[in-house]
Amino acid sequence: MADKQLGVTAAASAFQKEWFAQLRHRVFEQREPYALVQADVPMELFDLVDIPAVSNQWWAALIAAKQQAAGLLDAMAADGLHDGLCRYCSLGYASMHYRGAEAPPWGGLPPPRLLCARLTCDCVHRVFSLWADACGAELVEIDHPGACEPHPQWWTLGRRRWRELVEPHRLAFTIAALEALVARLETISGRRLEPDALRARLERVNEQEEIFDEVRGLIAAAPQCPVRMTEQITNVMATQWVRGSDWALSHARAFRDEVKHRVDAGIAACPGERVRLMWVGAGLWHDTSFYTAFEASHGAVFVWSMYLAFGPDGYIRYGLDDPMAALASRTASFNEYLHNPPWAPEWIAHQAKAHRIDGALVLRPRSMKPSATGRLFIERALERVGVPVLPIEGDVVDARAWNPAAARAAVRTFLDERVSA
Amino acid sequence: MATAITTLTAAFNDAFAHLGESADLDRRVVVTSWPSVPVEIVRASRLRLVVAKGSTAATPLADAQLEPGLFPARLRQLVDAALAGRLAHVARIVIPRTSDPDYKCFLYLREFCRLGLAAAMAPTALFDLLQSDGAHVRRYDVERTRALVDMLADASGHRPSDGELRQEIGLTNAARAAARHLVALRRDAPRVSGKEVFPLLGAFWHVPPREYASLASQAFADLANRSPLRGPRVLLAGAPVDGIDLHAAIESRGAVVVDELSAWSGAADDDVRCDEDPIAALAEAYRRRSIGPRRPAGAMRDRAECVLDHIDAVVVSLPEDDATFGWDYPALRERLTARGLPHTVLRGDPHRPLTPADGQRLDSLVEAAERRRPSHHG
Repeated sequence: MADKQLGVTAAASAFQKEWFAQLRHRVFEQREPYALVQADVPMELFDLVDIPAVSNQWWAALIAAKQQAAGLLDAMAADGLHDGLCRYCSLGYASMHYRGAEAPPWGGLPPPRLLCARLTCDCVHRVFSLWADACGAELVEIDHPGACEPHPQWWTLGRRRWRELVEPHRLAFTIAALEALVARLETISGRRLEPDALRARLERVNEQEEIFDEVRGLIAAAPQCPVRMTEQITNVMATQWVRGSDWALSHARAFRDEVKHRVDAGIAACPGERVRLMWVGAGLWHDTSFYTAFEASHGAVFVWSMYLAFGPDGYIRYGLDDPMAALASRTASFNEYLHNPPWAPEWIAHQAKAHRIDGALVLRPRSMKPSATGRLFIERALERVGVPVLPIEGDVVDARAWNPAAARAAVRTFLDERVSA
Repeated sequence: MATAITTLTAAFNDAFAHLGESADLDRRVVVTSWPSVPVEIVRASRLRLVVAKGSTAATPLADAQLEPGLFPARLRQLVDAALAGRLAHVARIVIPRTSDPDYKCFLYLREFCRLGLAAAMAPTALFDLLQSDGAHVRRYDVERTRALVDMLADASGHRPSDGELRQEIGLTNAARAAARHLVALRRDAPRVSGKEVFPLLGAFWHVPPREYASLASQAFADLANRSPLRGPRVLLAGAPVDGIDLHAAIESRGAVVVDELSAWSGAADDDVRCDEDPIAALAEAYRRRSIGPRRPAGAMRDRAECVLDHIDAVVVSLPEDDATFGWDYPALRERLTARGLPHTVLRGDPHRPLTPADGQRLDSLVEAAERRRPSHHG
């Protein structure tokens, strides 16, 4: 992992570690409930009734980044779970089910009171059912209604015209599903979720994402990229998991201010930047040094990933007279925008142009089948707007088949032959 | 001379393959990707259902557009047919929400049209019947089933009344009863092989119900007097099959496939009960019954559990595109082990010849099942 260039990055990492330690204290010492949730679940609802929520994907990424996944992955294989099954969504389950296979980071997850998942990919119901059984915890599922009439340029509607973006039947269904979730959360916590409190929280989420919009604009417009992609991700995701909280808003502002200072001062993440790269897909959590490996040799810096860019376009909802409807409109299609046609190819090509991208690396995940679909449309859309594409075969948490040297060599060849030529 | 058995088998095998040959015939056809669209509604709308099937036929047009290893063969065949213009004249392409790949297939088909990659393709719609539990899910499903009725009425020019829907449910229930008679021939001492009876059950989706009931009854009469088959009885579990290649591979080794977890053999499910609203009745029946990756794990487990007392071995098919049923495997293995039932897992494409490794697994399984098999069987 390259040295951190921003002061706020260390603060974000420290906050997450402290937050997790507090969670363990609350669960083990004070017997308070907490929830394990998929990353696309509206975590604001949990926070508003004071049930901490841990993102499954964050925990899996942490295990992989700490190089503590291999034993768990081997244990899954030994149990007969074939290698085509999604490891990203299931590594957290493995960390609790195959105890002893590998020491988990930071003392491990405490036992949750409940789990919650949107039923996007087919595997989610399976993984979370197994996980709930393994923990003796309750599972709340939010089914995912399909889009019958998808809007290609979804990001132009999401902020103010979200009732047009999400078909009425999907919106009504998702509202009902979230209301059912709230009913369970209120019962578990003994607290009521007031509409005014939800409205106020969503206003603060909007404020946070507007700050990220500023940061995205700064990065796109600056002559040279002021902040590495890996540090963008650390700062953005640490705040997204607790979005709208005091700390999140404060940290988002600090992040924005430090990026702005670097832009104003002409500080580049990679002095001598010659090539601006885009990473399409979830992060290679087991090999984050990959993202800085081409700075010295090619002046190639990763400028863009979905993690910062999706915040403003995916989360902001204005017109909060019915806050649950606004939240449901965000939830209904959420991660589809990142993977599926027509949404993902249109948005990613648009983002590539806005960020003056010279080349794109598109992840072809081995086991994450739903994320792997749509990538041909994305690759072709990028090529159509003049961005050469290098597909990268790899798994975001499973490093066992990952050849770092071969992957880096492929990128160097790509840079030499298709980007710099 | 055609018999009931050959007629039904041909209806199962050939319906999808014949699309594109006659525009006049195709205009009354609704094409779907899996038998989880209420056939009663299609027929009450004066249309005919044709379900795409996987096969080993080459799919060059689909291969250029679909990522490898993610889509089952049936979807590759459907996309190839769509891109080749074979689905240009059908009334509608209706993709059910049976799996994530089905949903992606719907989005892809729409995208091919938007990008001009498909010159001529019938309008494509999503039948978004969700299969999780909850009052809001059931309300949503009724609403989406009503939307299906509306959409097919637009396509056919005929909107079925509630009375017509009830009548179609009644006719289809009679066809289901005939299918159940065929299934009875697989129980205990089976008199018909899986590779022979699976197409007879699958034809339910393609043949009008009166005709199906009559043909299935004739087929039953032809089969009922056969001597019992002597091989060990096998359940085909894992990813649902849509053809007989795995049946044939298992049965060529002397075993008999007496059940498979597949929507195609859902023909023999219980009758659809229709006390009041026929659309609500169909929505609920298909939500609960349709076998596929979106059916909850517990329901799949219960479906398998009810046959474990009547079999000698289990074959679990988990092909490369499986993202779901592999998660059920460890628990299934424990249940089978507890019962002393041998099983094996096959990872190959169910439409292609067995890999040598899968062939060896199957040989070993049949041997183990033979050793275990009680002498009273057959």
